Amino acid sequence: MKLSQITFSKAARDDILDLYGKSVDNEGFIVERDNPSQRVLTPNGEEIRIEEWGGVRRGSEAFIKNDTFSLIELAKKLE
Amino acid sequence: MTILENLKKVFEGKFGDVLSHNNITFFNFSRNSSETVEVKDGNKLVIDISKATEEEKKLVKNILDSRVQRENEAFLMDHSSEKTLKIKENLPIGESEELLKFYKDKLKPDMYKALEASIIIKNTFDGGGDILEMKHDVSRKYPTFGNNLCNLVTRGYFDNHFKELYQSMLEDEDFDISVYQRKVEKIVKSLPYTVFVTRFRSYDELSGEVAFKLDKLKKYGTGKLLLHGLGKENVNTTISILDEYKEDNSVNINLDINPKKTIITATLIF
Repeated sequence: MKLSQITFSKAARDDILDLYGKSVDNEGFIVERDNPSQRVLTPNGEEIRIEEWGGVRRGSEAFIKNDTFSLIELAKKLE
Repeated sequence: MTILENLKKVFEGKFGDVLSHNNITFFNFSRNSSETVEVKDGNKLVIDISKATEEEKKLVKNILDSRVQRENEAFLMDHSSEKTLKIKENLPIGESEELLKFYKDKLKPDMYKALEASIIIKNTFDGGGDILEMKHDVSRKYPTFGNNLCNLVTRGYFDNHFKELYQSMLEDEDFDISVYQRKVEKIVKSLPYTVFVTRFRSYDELSGEVAFKLDKLKKYGTGKLLLHGLGKENVNTTISILDEYKEDNSVNINLDINPKKTIITATLIF
């Protein structure tokens, strides 16, 4: 795995979520835009608040968090 | 075809002469600009996806899917991307990797994960990097011991003290790894009110620290102070310090010494 040359800024977070068919519910969690009662989960099965969201990696809609522990797991997989 | 060439195709006519740029960021220009594509800081191509047409968005999503799913790239927020790179540069290698391996099957999984993060934080700090956010992450995930464990790693206690503790406990006939795990957990959680008795410090220094902490803790504190020593010499020193309080009615002492008298943990309760 490698880090993409393409990134997104915090200001574009909602636009990118929209691109992936996601939105944010009134408690701040990322949800399916077409089914807002369904919260998006990380590969570890955790719900993600918008401010915790780090990005996407390979896997079926693999949304990952931006905390040190999630990024350690990602960093260990990088070439 | 490169990412840029792909995006150029998507935003045909809006790119201009930007083929020399290879860092691409999705941004939101807000209402300050009607442009979809801009160059920032001289070398960064910035795209405002909110101003793209539905067709352009679809094509961009296809490019992202291709990069993420087929090329196995992680598509991250810029801050997360920088943070991941910093972590990768400071992953445990060499001595710190060996250190981590030592504790792999000895600590509880949560404590092991915190140890790994703390070693990365120490490596980052040693290299002059900013560690504030990473330390905050460790404290937030493990509020009862994360910050203390980070501090103990920085002070080198996992390089020697907790290894020696393991070796000493291993010599006990009824050794059980869960006893070691509980012991480490107790010491780590108690760090703000623990005195490590070590032969590298004089008796007067150690005795003074105990008196000082006891005084502070009586005023503000937790109602207990932990003294922890490894090795016969330190066990004896600890007992001598405790003798100073045996006539003190305001202090009760709980003593835990292993059969070989090489590990001592004393709790002063007041």
